[in-house]
Amino acid sequence: MTLPDRSSLSRREYARALVAAGGVAALSACLGVDGNDGERDVPPGTSDPDALPERQHAWNEALETDADGNVRLPEHHVLVPLSLRDDPDEVASETTEDALRTLERAYEWSNDGLVFTVGYAPAYFDRFDESMPPSVDLPDPEALTDRESPEFDEFDAVIHLASDRPDVVLEAEEGLFGERETLNGVDVEATLADVFERIDDRRRTGFVGPGLPAERTDVSGVPESIPEEAPFFMGFRSGFRESQATEDRVTIDEGPFAGGTTQHVSSMDLQLEVWFEQDNHYQRVSKMFSPEHAEDDLVGEHGERLGATSGLTDERIEATSADARERGVVGHAQKAARAREDGDPLLLRRDFNTVDGDRPGLHFLSLQRGIDEFVRVREAMTGADLDVPFANNGIRHYIFVNRRGNFLIPPRPLRSLPSPDPDPT
Amino acid sequence: MQNPDTIDRRAFVRLGAATGTLALAGCFGTEDENGTDADPDDDSGDEAGDGTGDDVTAAPELIEVEDPPEAVYVPTHREAMRMLEPIHEGDFALAPMLSYPHPFWVIAGGGDDDEVERVDPEDGRGVHMMFTLWDAETGIVLPVDEGAQLRVLRDGEPVGSPRSPWAMISQEMGFHFGDNVPLPEDGTYTVEVTVPSISTRKTGDLEGRLEQSETMTFEFVYDDEFRHEVVEGVEYLDEELWGQRGALEPMEHGHDGHDDHGGDDDHGDHDGHDDHDGHDDHDDHDDHDDHDDHDDHDDHDGHDDHDDHDDHDDHDDHDDHDDHDGHDDHGGHHVPYSALPRIEAYPGTRLVDPNADEVAVETSDLPRSGDAAVFATLLESGSRLADGDEGYLLVSPRTPYNRVPLADMSIVATVERDGEVVAEPALEQTLDDEYDLHYGASVEGVQPGDSVTIAFESPAQVARHMGYETAFLEMPPVELVVEEP
Repeated sequence: MTLPDRSSLSRREYARALVAAGGVAALSACLGVDGNDGERDVPPGTSDPDALPERQHAWNEALETDADGNVRLPEHHVLVPLSLRDDPDEVASETTEDALRTLERAYEWSNDGLVFTVGYAPAYFDRFDESMPPSVDLPDPEALTDRESPEFDEFDAVIHLASDRPDVVLEAEEGLFGERETLNGVDVEATLADVFERIDDRRRTGFVGPGLPAERTDVSGVPESIPEEAPFFMGFRSGFRESQATEDRVTIDEGPFAGGTTQHVSSMDLQLEVWFEQDNHYQRVSKMFSPEHAEDDLVGEHGERLGATSGLTDERIEATSADARERGVVGHAQKAARAREDGDPLLLRRDFNTVDGDRPGLHFLSLQRGIDEFVRVREAMTGADLDVPFANNGIRHYIFVNRRGNFLIPPRPLRSLPSPDPDPT
Repeated sequence: MQNPDTIDRRAFVRLGAATGTLALAGCFGTEDENGTDADPDDDSGDEAGDGTGDDVTAAPELIEVEDPPEAVYVPTHREAMRMLEPIHEGDFALAPMLSYPHPFWVIAGGGDDDEVERVDPEDGRGVHMMFTLWDAETGIVLPVDEGAQLRVLRDGEPVGSPRSPWAMISQEMGFHFGDNVPLPEDGTYTVEVTVPSISTRKTGDLEGRLEQSETMTFEFVYDDEFRHEVVEGVEYLDEELWGQRGALEPMEHGHDGHDDHGGDDDHGDHDGHDDHDGHDDHDDHDDHDDHDDHDDHDDHDGHDDHDDHDDHDDHDDHDDHDDHDGHDDHGGHHVPYSALPRIEAYPGTRLVDPNADEVAVETSDLPRSGDAAVFATLLESGSRLADGDEGYLLVSPRTPYNRVPLADMSIVATVERDGEVVAEPALEQTLDDEYDLHYGASVEGVQPGDSVTIAFESPAQVARHMGYETAFLEMPPVELVVEEP
């Protein structure tokens, strides 16, 4: 892959472009930018597997929080799609586990180090004669509205790597595939390359955090008018503590995969020029949150007035269908919140923005106990029941889904090539 | 016929400066090849700086009506556009149209200032990309926003992000979908349009149709010739008309503009299809006075001074094409205009303005709310539109002159008898092959003499071209009475 042009980009922009490019050359360039290879102060990991939580998706305790107590996701993300070279066996499973443990020894489980998950697609489990236990809800991905015709992730597995440090996500990825001899001073003794092929054209990258979207205005389709401090391309904060499911809520609670979770990944284009240059701020707030958020000015420029919640009272959520008729517009957050159960959100979102393909997009990534819960939230967000024109139906006018994939993220002890119905450990 | 060259643009400027009635903005097109009259700072065509040496700008000068009425009004000009060949797929037919990028207004909410936003085009190259979408079998234009998508490609590569075009109304094009689409440079572009299935309630011959999303593709060339055509093709109206209450006539959609890239020839074609010299300045002027004559709110004198009925007949000619699958007779090139049926085409017992001296004969005589003409009728029990044996309240709000449907509104009717509310149905937006877009509900026992208040919970959530942006926003309830025999 061609490396980005250093001369035209700031240091941060360059580092992010290198993450997007991937590969050994990008890593070398990144290490060159971000400090001296030998003297980096990346916190080391642990050689004690029991020191890490049993849930792969237990990130929240390890991650920093913002001033309002919301979990602050790492800034840089890579989704590495994997295709098995051969049907899984014990040797492959051990190699996989050794490779993953290398990452854990190399990097602290934190923003500054690395957090990651390994997930398996229905296509992976189809390789086995046994079927999945009923306690796991992992259907094949499908189109969820008449308006989308996505491609589907039909490869075997995906690794989600996340760190505040661009060099760490790049290095971890290369180390997993034996392209590095050491990772943060830890010898690489096993490589996933013996087990999996990387599917380069399905590799996805991205970023999230205040100010990062506004640094991407060099990309066609990213307008200058994105608020400077916005953490997401759509211009508003997201991931409020009270709008996110807890890790407990998304964890599978019975059967052999108890302690695991399911992951939905969808990739979509965002039409930011229309969003920022045609709609006004009032309209954006109405469509993102609710018309009442706009009327009462609850959000501020990019969500700074919202603390740990998106400001959705029960009344505002219940008013969705009345807002559709009486105000002619409904908010995305308001609509989706209708799927809450006893007031609790069902999804734990860990999505991030992207400029993969040189245009703005979102890799929507959510964890939930079962994929059916994602589908329920998506139906609430689609709002087919609402009497509202498409352009004012939340943010649907601005998003264009291209891909969907469903994965099982097993608990850590089962993360390396599990069978569909493993023996209880 | 009107030749755009007959209007001296510099005269406009002088006039504007002298009277203060004009707002000038945007870039100045020039009629000479060297662009000597252009303000270099505003010359968006050359700003692209790609050295192609444009001798036209991407858009004509924008002359706006300052302080227009809060009603449908006549803009300063007729837009010029290139019509491409209609395409069909499944139950849908679609006619692409391209013009220069220009302002429009988007709405999300009740019509307060914050809820309506003017969209100005970006500097540089681009088009206002539009299409009319209709049911291929019945010819009914589909005036509802269910989320169409546009993807622009050049040499197989995407140009910009996908976009969902806005549902829009314009005096010339009626209901259509459109957006300003920036283009990086001259060349041949491919556009993929994906139209969604129509989930709006459908009745009559539309029932069971339009259930499958379809994708259609068209191509166009963006170049000097195109810009010449659409920039030079703009027809400025006589200044006395600007901002008057009234509307431009619907454009003649029937001509084959596909191969006619010469702007003047196109205008000739327009005239050839009109049964009158509609493009003559003074005839246009008369047309609009005629419309105004029907408008009880106006204080214009001269009722019956003009040949009103000829005018309306001209409009009806357009509709006759629409109503009879005319597009098939024109080798697939006829594009229906989204005019609703004339009011006499609706059966049932009319709901009338209790204070009016006489029953409305034309759409423009109807009671207005926010300048929308509100037609309502009570279909007899057992109507095919009603549930079982109930009656059916059909409300058809429309633009007052061109009968363009006002889609994506929320309407509630309150039926009262002797001061008691006897029914309060929320009306459902419905598409019917005979009565087209309307809002309806089955009702039981509504009788002649009952009063029916039509309340607009939210106004038409459709974007507007110039001339419609100040109307159909603040919409007070309309009080009607079921006509006594």
